[in-house]
Amino acid sequence: MPLILIGVNHRTAPVGVRERMSVADAQLAATLDELKAIAPIDGVALLSTCNRVEVILSAESEDVIEAFVDWLSARGGSTRSELEKHLYILRYADVARHLFRVASGLDSMVVGEPQIGGQVRTAFLAAQQRGAIDPLLHRLFEETIRVARKVRSETGIGEHAVSVPYAAVELARKIFGDLHGLQALLLGAGKMSELTAEHLAGFGLKQIFVANRAHERAEEMAARFRGMAIRFDEIDPHLATCDIVIASTAAPHYVVEAQQVERALTARRMRNLFLIDLSVPRNLDPAIAQVDGAYLYNIDDLQQVADANRELRLQKAEEAEEIVAREVDHFRRRLLARDAVPTIVELQERLELIRTAELEKCLRKLGPVTADQRQALELLTRQIVNKILHYPILRLKESAEEPQERESLRQTIRKIFGLR
Amino acid sequence: MSPNFTLYAALLFYTAGTLIALASLFTRERRSQHAALVLMIGGFVCHTIWIGTICARTHHPPLTNLPEAAAFVAWCIFVVELALFIRYRVQAASFFVYPLVLMLLTVAAVVHEPFAQMDPALRSSLFTAHVLLSAVGVAALLTGLAFTALSYAQDRALKSKHRGPLWEWIPSLSVCRTLSYRILAVGFSIYTLGILAGILWSYRTTAGPMDMRVKQLGGITAWILFAMLLQSYISGAYRARRTALISVCAFVAIVVAMLGIHHV
Repeated sequence: MPLILIGVNHRTAPVGVRERMSVADAQLAATLDELKAIAPIDGVALLSTCNRVEVILSAESEDVIEAFVDWLSARGGSTRSELEKHLYILRYADVARHLFRVASGLDSMVVGEPQIGGQVRTAFLAAQQRGAIDPLLHRLFEETIRVARKVRSETGIGEHAVSVPYAAVELARKIFGDLHGLQALLLGAGKMSELTAEHLAGFGLKQIFVANRAHERAEEMAARFRGMAIRFDEIDPHLATCDIVIASTAAPHYVVEAQQVERALTARRMRNLFLIDLSVPRNLDPAIAQVDGAYLYNIDDLQQVADANRELRLQKAEEAEEIVAREVDHFRRRLLARDAVPTIVELQERLELIRTAELEKCLRKLGPVTADQRQALELLTRQIVNKILHYPILRLKESAEEPQERESLRQTIRKIFGLR
Repeated sequence: MSPNFTLYAALLFYTAGTLIALASLFTRERRSQHAALVLMIGGFVCHTIWIGTICARTHHPPLTNLPEAAAFVAWCIFVVELALFIRYRVQAASFFVYPLVLMLLTVAAVVHEPFAQMDPALRSSLFTAHVLLSAVGVAALLTGLAFTALSYAQDRALKSKHRGPLWEWIPSLSVCRTLSYRILAVGFSIYTLGILAGILWSYRTTAGPMDMRVKQLGGITAWILFAMLLQSYISGAYRARRTALISVCAFVAIVVAMLGIHHV
């Protein structure tokens, strides 16, 4: 039974094509119903994100591909020949390989990004809710979700931040662990500091104080974070109570000196202080880096962290590719073994019929027997049948990888045992 | 079968576990860390059987000579490490703890001494309390030092902005310091009780204050250094380099005290 994937992604199609083909969450159910009606298929799922639109199918024959390509062309508002330039069509194990890689973040624009795993899961659940998933797709998606989880836990591919604001969050977590209940002080109300504060706030900061030369702007930004605006001359007492300081002012001089930080740390009883300087020229005295308990990072340092993380993710991606390759191989074997199942079932049913019929004849000839005797005969005949079936079934499963050998063996077995 | 068979089996497991754990520093493979942990647990089982064998043969805790004490302290360290791993999932401490456990058990195997029968005159609950509390205290203090080393490594990595090979494995600085402080505080209390029990036992058996030999001097010096370490945590006067220096001295003092253990 063919497993097929048809789609476009950020590598094969420009955003203009992708955006026309994409399906909004609200339209997903209706689109799945539409897809089910396009051609005779057993199952269908649709993965639509900002980077890809992919239709995953299981069907009796590959003939259905044409109908789905037409549907995608119509959806993209382009001719079939135009779309074919961007389209990829994958079959069987390549579908599994592709989905495993996609869900693990290996096919993402930013390698290892974690959202895609959730998007694949959502696509699966949506299709399941619409009754569009057959056992084969069910198994494929379950395997995909399991492999993605395995890749992430074994390689840690998504654990390292690759943007400056996230690098700041990662460092804050390396220093404080849990950010819940911590306080931050924003010096200046620049865009970058706002973005960084927003990321940090997402991790449960208790309070954000904003100091800015223009107090109205500080109040405006504080309101965004439900924080508190303070005056610039009130910085010192807040240095002692806040755990993270983000500086991004237009001042051409240092707004916080090393001595201020030393005093603050003494008042904090050496509780660590994380200082992020996003401004150019720098606002935080570089000598702060020498103070015990103070960790100072400027914009270049954060960029370096993000770059190093990107490199690290690429290294982890190699490890992840090995896991995916192993898992695809397992999946392929199971998929092929599945093809032998109908013959095996038929064979078992055939021999069971012979066994029960012959047993009944024998019992009639024997006359009255005790329950124990009957049970012994049942056991004996069943064991004989199992012994006879053992090697044919084993060979059928083993031959799964060689299509020609498998077919020839299947035909032979069918002839020998008189299967239809 | 030789009673030391399980000791050598434990050594074998610990050696393999430690090597794989240290190799994972470079390969950064989590699977290697898990494999190392499994091997170490295998070693721990053999180690436990060996200690049980000593107890069964001598009818007293395995602490009357250097090999026994080293093996028992190693056993306690691994118990503490295992408990912390289960509670906090901190794998990085293993880079310090596994070699320490291996080193102590190697001492036990190399410094071969026959199973010692204790002088019946010295058998007392005070002596048992002294050796057990001291050993458990030392084990906790050494594990605490491992976490102090981790927090120092983390501090240096954050300050220098260069990730060392430990970066990925070490938990946050805050977790390292909290764990280090808590383990040192608990270990210090137990160790102090052990020393007090030793002093009392010494008074009872010799009717005078204890002798000041290498073991006693090392033990008391270590106690003072650990007190300084804890004081720096409690007072908030923590300084990375000073803490590291005191920790190294405390470690040396503990090792000296342990090397001073002879037949009682």
